[in-house]
Amino acid sequence: MSRVGIIGIGHGVFGRRSDATVQELAFEAFKLAMEDAGIAREDLDASVIGSVPEYHKQRSLPGVVQEYLGLNPAPTWLTEVACSSGSAAIRTAWMSIKAGVHDIVAVIGCQKMTELSTPEILALMGRVGEVQWESVFGTTFPAYYALFAQRHMYEFGTTREQLLEVAIKNHYYGARNQCALFQKEITMEKAKASDEVSTPLQVYDCCANADGAACVILASEEKAKEISQKTVWLDGMGCATASMSVLRRPNLTGLPSAEAASAEAYRMAGVSAQDIKVAEVHDCFTIAEIMAYEDLGFCKKGEGGKFISDRQAYIGGKVPVNVDGGLKAKGHPIGATGVSMTVEIAKQLRGEAGERQVPDADVGLTHNVGGIGQYCFVQVLRRD
Amino acid sequence: MFKWFGKVNFSPFTKVSDFAGYLKDGHLMGSKCKKCGTTSFPPRADCESCMSGDFEFFEVTGKATLHTFTKIVAAPTGFEDEVPYIVGVVDLDEGGRALAWFGETVKEEEIAIGMELQMVPRIFEELEEIKVYYSLEKPGTTWSKV
Amino acid sequence: MDLGLEGKNAIVTGGSLGIGTAVALGLAKEGCNVAINYRRHDTEAKEVVRQIEEMGRKGLAVRADVASYSDAQNMVDTVVKEFGGLDIMVCNAGINWDGVIWKMSEEQWDTVINVNLKGYFNYNKAAAGVFKDRKGGKIVNISSINGLRGKFGQVNYSASKGGEIAMSKSLARELGKFNVNVNVVAPGMVMTEMARKIPPEFLNKAVDETMLGRIASPEDCADVVVFLCSDRSRHITGEVIKVDGGQYI
Repeated sequence: MSRVGIIGIGHGVFGRRSDATVQELAFEAFKLAMEDAGIAREDLDASVIGSVPEYHKQRSLPGVVQEYLGLNPAPTWLTEVACSSGSAAIRTAWMSIKAGVHDIVAVIGCQKMTELSTPEILALMGRVGEVQWESVFGTTFPAYYALFAQRHMYEFGTTREQLLEVAIKNHYYGARNQCALFQKEITMEKAKASDEVSTPLQVYDCCANADGAACVILASEEKAKEISQKTVWLDGMGCATASMSVLRRPNLTGLPSAEAASAEAYRMAGVSAQDIKVAEVHDCFTIAEIMAYEDLGFCKKGEGGKFISDRQAYIGGKVPVNVDGGLKAKGHPIGATGVSMTVEIAKQLRGEAGERQVPDADVGLTHNVGGIGQYCFVQVLRRD
Repeated sequence: MFKWFGKVNFSPFTKVSDFAGYLKDGHLMGSKCKKCGTTSFPPRADCESCMSGDFEFFEVTGKATLHTFTKIVAAPTGFEDEVPYIVGVVDLDEGGRALAWFGETVKEEEIAIGMELQMVPRIFEELEEIKVYYSLEKPGTTWSKV
Repeated sequence: MDLGLEGKNAIVTGGSLGIGTAVALGLAKEGCNVAINYRRHDTEAKEVVRQIEEMGRKGLAVRADVASYSDAQNMVDTVVKEFGGLDIMVCNAGINWDGVIWKMSEEQWDTVINVNLKGYFNYNKAAAGVFKDRKGGKIVNISSINGLRGKFGQVNYSASKGGEIAMSKSLARELGKFNVNVNVVAPGMVMTEMARKIPPEFLNKAVDETMLGRIASPEDCADVVVFLCSDRSRHITGEVIKVDGGQYI
């Protein structure tokens, strides 16, 4: 079966973008990607938009994005699976090319979260979990990950410091990423002094909402070889789900959807965890990154805390993780994140990451989670 | 009426609506598939094993062990008056898990993973409308103090 | 009709006289253990208890001033301890001290309000605490048609009786979710100790007001109270039932 490759990448500035609408943000990233690919809009067969609609005032988002990007009358639609909407869009485009329906597809992950008022956001915040049995008790997104953190600390002795070291690392790299929301390093003292959100998680354990967009152009093997000298191949595509309700999970110390999705991606790409040279994982909360090290097989179950405190996730360590700042420092425009991760890995594999370059990176991984692991998409990317 | 369940309720209509009526009368009910016998707490109408929609309610004891917990400080809409509150996830003796608030019989300092607890049906006493929930209490606590 | 009152525990305030005695004995006849309070009439109270015990039920007379908040709480605590629980609270104790307003003293007003209205609050509150925890109970507050209409010379009495009705309705709203029924019986003129002090021409006026051509006996009222304490009235709450022979329609 033929491969699917990334021939163009574009990443907008993440932050509080009161200067632009969501379609204008999408255009930013799209333009960069098209210039990077060196193709014209007429060359595109279709586009897929990854975004979470409830945050926008515009109903039916893909329509307005497609129009603003000047892509009518090409097909488009939305993919939504919470924070992994971007990866779902990439998977959709990948499937359409693999099936031979399209040759070149633009994937735009875009999100504006700051159009909502604080009450509107607070109302949405209470509906992230299973609303019939859990939201009635006022659960929130941080609360769910806090439940995992509490159990992980109980079972494996993971410490508060180890959790915050994830944030410190990501801010270190975010300070070197001009597209990030927070471009400042942080200290352990400052992190420990931050407000409680949901015990044991504090403000510095949590990623921030943000606005932003990222774009990748996917092409069939034949077209990619024609057009691009620096194609990055999507060789492993894994996707799995887990119960919406955390009450029905086998355990509360890892995400079974991440284990399953990574197993599928590794198998498809013919690699194992040891072959991954650089990774982007879903650090919506510090505990999420620690569980990701374990779920993805970078370390043994329960040793995620040791992995970060031994600096194995820094450049020079076993697997550099989130060396663009991760969700923590970049911000998390939920629909865009999956595409942002893909852009970063593609950059790394092309050798274009500047001071954040991981040496000899030829195989990379993205791990994009929706919600509390209801959905997980793992991609293994390769540069020949 | 399922809308009775919870401080803020998002699911007024459900096939397991009677759960709330039972809760108001002091009973915690799980579901049991009439076809294959699979049980579930919280109750569900459509069996996850055999997909049959034929179920019946059965009463669970509410005895449970604490699996994990968190104290929520930043509240979503509708819970501003309750904050901070402590949410626990418990493993029920009969199987299944539940998520609920800790109640008055358990002090914050006493909370520890692995502790034994009793889930007790509760009424929001100071609201005029009927609103019910369940809470995590010390073993031996009962709904009705006869 | 089986009223389902076998083995229930009740308190009747002002149970040593008139309507109170009729209610206490009526409940005992249906199988209840009954406790009554008294302030001065200890002989009468002991006689009521004797009659209750003669029927094979538990009886108890407690000296308590209904106007005292702590006396009420103590009495409820005592009854719960002695009988093993409380299912029924009937508030009946009341006085009147009539006069036109321009001759009514501050003491006249305060005393009637305290004994009647505050008295009901004291006992309703003490009972509500028990019923809320038990998730069940019956409260019957005995008011008067003079709480529904104005009565010459009874600015204080009518105020207290009207207040008892509004209070009962509010309480019905608060306690409904705990399976507690709160209702009011509003008698018209009743032949009791209080009534015997009324001059004959006023009594006759009352008879003339009724459609049935007679004034009530204590048992006429007690039967309705007992019904409201029973399982047969389980779906009635926040209601006011006049027992006045059509005196005020």
